[in-house]
Amino acid sequence: MIKKVSILWMLFLLGCSLFGCQASEYPRRLDETNTLYVGSVASSFPVSFMPWLSREGVAPTIASMLYSTLFSYDEDTGQFVSLLAKEWYYVDEDGQAIVDESGKIDYDRLEEIYGTSSKTYLPVKIILNKGITWSDGEAFTAEDVYYTFDIGTNNALSNHAGALAWTSDLQHTHRNGVLTKQGIFTYHHGASQQGYFIEEEDADYVLYLHVNKVLGAVTTLFTTILILPEHIWKPIVSVNNQLNSKDPSVDSLHQYKNPVGCGPFLLDVARSNAQVITLQRRVDYHITDDEGGPLYKVDTIKLLLYQELNVAIYALLKGHIDVLDASVSSNYMSLFDQREDLFLSNAEGTFAQTLVLNINPVALEKTPIRNVLANIDFRKALALAVNQDELINRVLNQSGRVMSNGLMRESLVDFFNPTADTLPTNVEERLTLANQLLDTHYPNKDDQGYRMLGESRMTFHILGTPGEQEVISYLQIQFQKIGIEVKYQAKGSSPEKTFLYTSKFDMTIQGVTFSISNVDIMYMAHFVTMGTSSNYGRLANSVLTSKINEMRTTLNLNRKYELIYELQPMIADLYYKIPLYSSNVLSVARIDRYTGYVSVAGSTVFNSESLQNITRVG
Amino acid sequence: MQKGYVFKRILYAIFIFFIVMTLNFFIPRIGVTDPAERYYPPQGNMSEIEYDIIKQVTREQYGFDVSTFQQYLNYVEKLSRFDLGTSFKSGSPKVSDLIAQRLPWTLVLSVTNLIICLSIGISLGSIAAWKRGRWQDTALLNASTISTALPGFFIALILSFYLGFELELFPAYTNPNMISQFDWSFEAIKVVIANAALPIISMSIGGIISYAQGTRNSVIAVTNEDFILTARSKGLSQRQVLYKHTLRNAMLPIVTSIGMSISGLIGGAVIIEQIFNWNGMGTLFLEANSTNDYPLMMGVMLFMSSFAIVANLVTELCYSLLDPRVTVGERR
Repeated sequence: MIKKVSILWMLFLLGCSLFGCQASEYPRRLDETNTLYVGSVASSFPVSFMPWLSREGVAPTIASMLYSTLFSYDEDTGQFVSLLAKEWYYVDEDGQAIVDESGKIDYDRLEEIYGTSSKTYLPVKIILNKGITWSDGEAFTAEDVYYTFDIGTNNALSNHAGALAWTSDLQHTHRNGVLTKQGIFTYHHGASQQGYFIEEEDADYVLYLHVNKVLGAVTTLFTTILILPEHIWKPIVSVNNQLNSKDPSVDSLHQYKNPVGCGPFLLDVARSNAQVITLQRRVDYHITDDEGGPLYKVDTIKLLLYQELNVAIYALLKGHIDVLDASVSSNYMSLFDQREDLFLSNAEGTFAQTLVLNINPVALEKTPIRNVLANIDFRKALALAVNQDELINRVLNQSGRVMSNGLMRESLVDFFNPTADTLPTNVEERLTLANQLLDTHYPNKDDQGYRMLGESRMTFHILGTPGEQEVISYLQIQFQKIGIEVKYQAKGSSPEKTFLYTSKFDMTIQGVTFSISNVDIMYMAHFVTMGTSSNYGRLANSVLTSKINEMRTTLNLNRKYELIYELQPMIADLYYKIPLYSSNVLSVARIDRYTGYVSVAGSTVFNSESLQNITRVG
Repeated sequence: MQKGYVFKRILYAIFIFFIVMTLNFFIPRIGVTDPAERYYPPQGNMSEIEYDIIKQVTREQYGFDVSTFQQYLNYVEKLSRFDLGTSFKSGSPKVSDLIAQRLPWTLVLSVTNLIICLSIGISLGSIAAWKRGRWQDTALLNASTISTALPGFFIALILSFYLGFELELFPAYTNPNMISQFDWSFEAIKVVIANAALPIISMSIGGIISYAQGTRNSVIAVTNEDFILTARSKGLSQRQVLYKHTLRNAMLPIVTSIGMSISGLIGGAVIIEQIFNWNGMGTLFLEANSTNDYPLMMGVMLFMSSFAIVANLVTELCYSLLDPRVTVGERR
């Protein structure tokens, strides 16, 4: 009996296996519509889309397609690019634009007017684009911008710390839900009382802001805050049902799941779920291409979730998707070699990997070996021993770029200062110079050729992740040539609290990104602020601090750029964050359905420029 | 079964649950004293006062605005109401709802896998033991050596690539619309079977061999016992000796293995779920981990741990039913 049951059971299992033995249908292969299939490697997709809550993974990308900011920022030129807003100016006390004859902001006059003024703010006039509609057909107006910035500063309604941070440069404050200081002015919100004249016909398109008296104050307001539709959220949001409520009402949840935005795409709710997000191009999007056609060339974007990168890569190779929205390691290059149906994007990276030295640990963490790092000659010797070209060849399989000692990307031609790189380029010469420097301070060596500090070998630990072990191994070899021993030390899951903020490390690997849009924040965080900041090695250099502060606070953009230029050699000469390399962003797309992909610095091939440029094959 | 023994086991399980619950609260908090500094680092132009407000708001949002002990008490109080809290995900979904959505899909894989492993594994193990030293036994030993050397995720990747991507015999990964379009129709069930095939095969290979090996060893050990010799000398047939005497007594260590497998039913397929895009409990935990969603992480961990504790308790009680010596030993 048991034998019969076993046989029947086996037959049942076999039947089930054969029943399951059918390949999935991969819709892209038969899809003749203008639909781009994008593979996204993430742990999950968002299923609700209140833009300010979208912080992880692919969520910010999707939020930026459904919603829009006032401007975007072009890192290469340092210019704001029109999105919801057409143009902006600083204005004088009469509300007149401070611009030169060509219509550009006149920074000399701005400095003249507000440099010594007792006013604590800069007034900014914003002119919005006309004819913009929300995805539900309602008109977009200046009141939507007022509502968004106002609720961002009003925690009683928004309950959103991020919004408070983004709007911190706006001089518009609430206390316990009551407006205590107004810093946003529209036709319907006190512009005329404040002395800002807005024509009635421009009532929906013009607004004024009072922002902190630094040039960088407008950047976050313009390029980070996704504008919300007032007509949707105002009736729903209250003190008892905040925008970011822990227990959102049914109405709020409905809006989270059926987002109404001003972006170029809208969410196809019926064809989206936790593993697929379908976006439809808005036919009424206000920005068009040069010929008046749609700015984005695909009608539909289908984002498919892959939780494992290898599976996603194979899905691309087998034609299940058009594009992979993930950067891939250079180790995968052999898979793509000689494939004529693929476009391989080897885009410049925007961040530099650096070796950070703990030059000024807190008193409790000072040790004889860490004291050595305070010696600038010693730091220079370490910088000389690093051969970026070899690192890029050996560790990155050549898919990287040399990073300047001033830590600014060379491709930012208007801002990059080549004089920051003063060290010789010849490897032998560098090593000789490094050894000469060290011989003057630490001439004694042990029998294995390592330098001695008193009675013990000079050994440093480099804090890193398992993925950084290859780099650290390379540094071991290089530093051995100048008699310095380094060892790998695991960073763990929360290195900031465990090691970095508490000065419990010798050296660490740290990625840094400096660009024109972030230098105000990043130079402070990396070179000035102590404690819980990215200034892990606690650099305290009064000359550098003073120059960074001048750069942050000057009202003259030309002077600001000059200061950024001057800061680079100063940063280089401190040998505090030693550049190792800047790795490229490798990504891949198939070209059998779409061609014309564009490589953009710091992005995968699935980027805004590609979407504006690709054309359907056949 | 002794009542005292049962009571003692239950008390012990409650004690373990209490420890797990406490660790579950404290472990995710290691290194995270202030979520504000993690999520909203100070901006360049922000004043100290502004940043203090932001930090305070963030602490309130994440429940870090009271002392750790108070947070722990709040957590225990909520748990006593079976409230696992709300996720940090957009829309603040309840953790229990997210678990309820994912659990059935994990059980589809793991329960099917367990049934397959048990039925095939025990059958093959019995055959190998009965045919000790012959090709059936040698084949099992060799398969065991190979499967020990091959981790489950590696088998899954190989199967996905060859049977899924190259030969296209099975779906290489789960159809993204499988869960959202599931409606108990014949077509929907067919889609589930098709999509579950490769993950289950990947999980089963190691499990079948492991159960077969365990059964073989156990059966061989029992076969050498005196009572088997007695049974044979009574003139019982080979089949009667195998099914009535040998297998029944060889079941004890197998029951332990089954208990362990049941306790791992929910959390044991994390990597397999990830490789095959199967939206189950394992990927929910990975998701919570990668997004620092502490309430979700804690909820999933606690659910998995509780399930394991209950499974272990049931196994121990079953064990004592099968072998009364266990309770006697406990009394001594």
